[in-house]
Amino acid sequence: MGFPHSHDLEVGTILSRHFGDPKARELETWLGYGGYEGLKQAIGMEPGEITTVVKDSGLRGRGGAGFPTGLKWTFMPQEKKGPHFLCCNADESEPGAFKDREILRWVPHLLIEGCLIAARAIRAEHVYIYVRGEYFPFTSILNDAVVEAYEAGYIGKNILGSGWDCDLTVHIGAGAYIAGEETGLMSSLTGGRAEPKIKPPFPAQSGVFGMPTTVNNVETLAAVPMIVVNGSDWYRQWGTEKSPGTKLWCCSGHLVRPGNYELELGVPLKDVIYEVCGGVPDGKKVKAVIPGGSSTAMLTADELDVPSTYEGLQEAGSSLGTASPIVLNEDTNIVSAMRRIADFYAHESCGQCVQCREGTSWVAQILKRIEAGDGRLSDLDTLYDLCEQLTGRTICVLADSVVFPLRSSLDKFRNEYEALIGGRA
Amino acid sequence: MNQPASETIRLTIDGVEVTVPRGTTVLKAAERAGIVVPHYCYHPGIPSRPAQCRMCLVEIEGQPKLQPSCVMTAGEGMNVITQSEAAKEARRSVIEFLLLNHPVDCPICDAAGQCMLQDYAYETGQLESRFREAKLVLGRDRIADDILYFADRCILCTRCVRFMRDVAGEESLIVAQRGHKAYIDTFPGKDLDHEFRGNIVDVCPVGALVHEDFLFKARAWDMDTAPSICPGCSNGCNIEIGAKENQIVRLKPRYNADVNAYWMCDYGRKHLVMSNRGARIDLPLVRRNGELEAVHWGEALDWLADSLPSGDGVALISPFESTETIAAVRALLDSVGISGGTYRLERGGEAQLEGFPKLKLRAERAPNAAGAELFGFSETAALPGPMTGGLLLVAGDRLADAPSDFGADAGFFLYIGSHLSDAARNADAILPATTFAEMEGTFINHAGRIQRFQQALVPPGVARPAWMILRRLLAMRGVGQAVLEAKDAFAMAVEEAAELTGLEWAAIGLRGADAKLDGAPAPAAG
Amino acid sequence: MKKVHPAVVGAQPFQVADLRPVDRLFADAEGRDRLEKALSRYPEKKGALLPMLAYAQERNGWVSPEAMEEIAGALELTPAYVRSVATFYTMYAKRPVGRYWIQVCTCISCHVNRGEEVFEKFLEQTGTRAGEVSEDGRYTVIEAECLGACGFATVVQVNDRYFENVTPESVPEVLAQLEQSDSEE
Repeated sequence: MGFPHSHDLEVGTILSRHFGDPKARELETWLGYGGYEGLKQAIGMEPGEITTVVKDSGLRGRGGAGFPTGLKWTFMPQEKKGPHFLCCNADESEPGAFKDREILRWVPHLLIEGCLIAARAIRAEHVYIYVRGEYFPFTSILNDAVVEAYEAGYIGKNILGSGWDCDLTVHIGAGAYIAGEETGLMSSLTGGRAEPKIKPPFPAQSGVFGMPTTVNNVETLAAVPMIVVNGSDWYRQWGTEKSPGTKLWCCSGHLVRPGNYELELGVPLKDVIYEVCGGVPDGKKVKAVIPGGSSTAMLTADELDVPSTYEGLQEAGSSLGTASPIVLNEDTNIVSAMRRIADFYAHESCGQCVQCREGTSWVAQILKRIEAGDGRLSDLDTLYDLCEQLTGRTICVLADSVVFPLRSSLDKFRNEYEALIGGRA
Repeated sequence: MNQPASETIRLTIDGVEVTVPRGTTVLKAAERAGIVVPHYCYHPGIPSRPAQCRMCLVEIEGQPKLQPSCVMTAGEGMNVITQSEAAKEARRSVIEFLLLNHPVDCPICDAAGQCMLQDYAYETGQLESRFREAKLVLGRDRIADDILYFADRCILCTRCVRFMRDVAGEESLIVAQRGHKAYIDTFPGKDLDHEFRGNIVDVCPVGALVHEDFLFKARAWDMDTAPSICPGCSNGCNIEIGAKENQIVRLKPRYNADVNAYWMCDYGRKHLVMSNRGARIDLPLVRRNGELEAVHWGEALDWLADSLPSGDGVALISPFESTETIAAVRALLDSVGISGGTYRLERGGEAQLEGFPKLKLRAERAPNAAGAELFGFSETAALPGPMTGGLLLVAGDRLADAPSDFGADAGFFLYIGSHLSDAARNADAILPATTFAEMEGTFINHAGRIQRFQQALVPPGVARPAWMILRRLLAMRGVGQAVLEAKDAFAMAVEEAAELTGLEWAAIGLRGADAKLDGAPAPAAG
Repeated sequence: MKKVHPAVVGAQPFQVADLRPVDRLFADAEGRDRLEKALSRYPEKKGALLPMLAYAQERNGWVSPEAMEEIAGALELTPAYVRSVATFYTMYAKRPVGRYWIQVCTCISCHVNRGEEVFEKFLEQTGTRAGEVSEDGRYTVIEAECLGACGFATVVQVNDRYFENVTPESVPEVLAQLEQSDSEE
């Protein structure tokens, strides 16, 4: 169920069933709720079998990219030449996203179980959970669960008497959005600056400490135990062919009932905003929605009748991302909002590639000047040009990410820019 | 049926078909095709390739995104277009971004005229700025005793950081902060202090890192350059001398795969600039009536040809002399019946370049001890002792530390050298010789490699190469021929030393050749 | 000495109000214990770097050059390298901060929910300028990027605690809660 509000439209079955129940964190209670059944089953399965179930379920990466999870697992080498690693990406720093923290907070054992099953599937002997540094309250909860699990024999040597050894380490970051990029995460985890690396080599060939590694998002891994227990067909009862299952939404901005909801993929975006979240407070209208976290294109109020699937949002010219809609009401100054978004990317750029290092700051500076009333129409041309210059030319897609909201704000809210510019060429 | 992958692959770059070994990068393949792909962070001597400058992006047919050619492996049948509109625009964009917060202080920047930012800015046509904001100013910092870092000019290619880490083997230079505010720095209080730190200035594509002792000294276009060999030690690093108004203002390494790759040590870099100093001998001087008088060459040599005694004597040369000079001295000594002869050699601490072990600052602090040994001179710690008459021939040794009465007790003291010391003033004849920078010649390094250096400076007054002086003198005494060109003097040396048989001046070229000697002088005991 | 399970040794809260400063991080049993446990979780010593930087912040409230040097020695890294890593991240303070490090999110969801006003209010109430330590050493206030509680804007992190749904009006209450937790000890 959603937190702190719930709604009929929710499917509270997979991830959020025990949200709001502090006892679910305790191993004993959790076992009573059916916890670790998936792991017990997975121990009796071949790694390839586990991968097949997840592949067939159509589960897609929930960290924003939506890459098919089972397929990603198949990239690990068939021939095992050394240690394999699983990294759980709990770096959740995308503006608008606050779902992974809820999983850590309420159902840490579900995540641990998902990690272990995935580790078994990719033949890893060590799981690193990389949590963003700021999440102290939730990390503490996770830590307690990890210790409990170790002491009860769910992690460590000879797990549940199976003869299989797998360790798990919780590792926290220290304030860098770019540590959420998979190669940036691996750089940070291994004692470095969170600087993304070129691919090839891909993580599955050479990841942490040069060893084959798979990086998966928290929400993705949390879905794995029930998929294993109930099967891929069961998971596909929700969602669409290309976007099966449920998604943990994080709704923020100007909403009556912001918060987390677990919904079936495919629910129309407008229903999420107006029905589930109660629309905009004080009777105001929606001006814009950034549907998938800040790295997605803005949609106007009349563009919200779109199914919340990966393919649906893509067709609508945006992206499902992390399903973290930021709803902006009619009083919102779009230029100011865009400026603050650009500030975020400028602040988080790792600095390796010049387009991102200089370009994100330049975008933010231009927007600040326009916001302050000192803009020119030629600035808009420059901004459009920068959208081109920041796309497809860098090691990672942080630069590309600022372009989505920027270009859509220029396309759809040009009038707001022009109003501040006042006709100066 | 399994066929083994072939050793080479074929691809097309800008319409030019080229065959390269499997595993070659697109950038290197382009080089083979005669095409230079602009780049910053890639450097052939630094093993790491972060592909972060984004300057080398090229279009590859069939691939939706531009690819960094410095890391992309060339594939069979690939069609690479380096000059497509997309690739050109990408490069223009990189330059625009680099210039955004750049001070564009070319008028006061040492890199002007030899700056890869300037070069590519002109190439990409990015000559106007549409940046209306205030530029970020980071300032200037001291990175080492003798190296300054201008953070505002830095393009964060990290070549310097990676040189120190990967080649020098010391991770003492790093990127601090992140994003827009990032800059290069050391740990506070720990300036760079590595024997090979000067190379970071060479690898810097722009003027962010500069040698303090070169600061504001010379414009790239004002310098005359010549390929040479560093005389600092017996490693024989290939260098380029940069001179302005007939003064050496800079030394840079010159690439040689077998000796020093792209690098040189700081001792070599700095040591020579010091040698610009000192009082030069620029005219022949002969003693008449107890006083030294300046005379013309003709007069000096005529007189010497007659007066030079035979029989008894000692000779002291210098391991800084060229092979041609050393051979000529030996020929002269032979002609007057003097055998043996010595040279003094300073030694110092060694320092090896971890990433290229052939390059080592060697204990022998002179470039041609091997040449001296080859022609029968032996190392000595002390100056020749008191004499009772006879010939004292000193060629090259500066006698800077010799007592002021040194040589006064010789029967005939002939000094051939570049610098005038108190001791040299006791000579009966002082002949002005050039330093290695003022002539052509060869040195033989510790490994028996013979390498040529070229003239970078104009000698002072009427100073001449010592080999030219001595061969002329010998010819006047009926021994051999006078020669005016170093290659001819070299040919004579080849005839006079069996170990040099087969070596040819032209074949030595600028890369050097193996002289197949028995070995370098033995390291000093203890 | 706080006993920490090796699996979570690199995940301890490192922004805390109650510091336990030390001159040398690894001179006492606790420091050595943390170091040893951290080293055991990674196949290379470098892997223990972020955990040790966090430990320095946890004990001393900031990561000093001396701490960087000591960590470098313990992990066989150069001090310069440790510095390059430490300065990449925002949560390792490079200068001492106040007892309460107040980090106010002003990112997009909080920005449209008066986040900047909350930030200004904190500055006013603590009598500080952004990033500075207050006279009495109690407060440092900075703007932060998305803290991951966007539905409950404005979000404020103070050391290892989250305060959600903060409004400019409720800022004094947040500060009062901090005072209260002080006096409860």
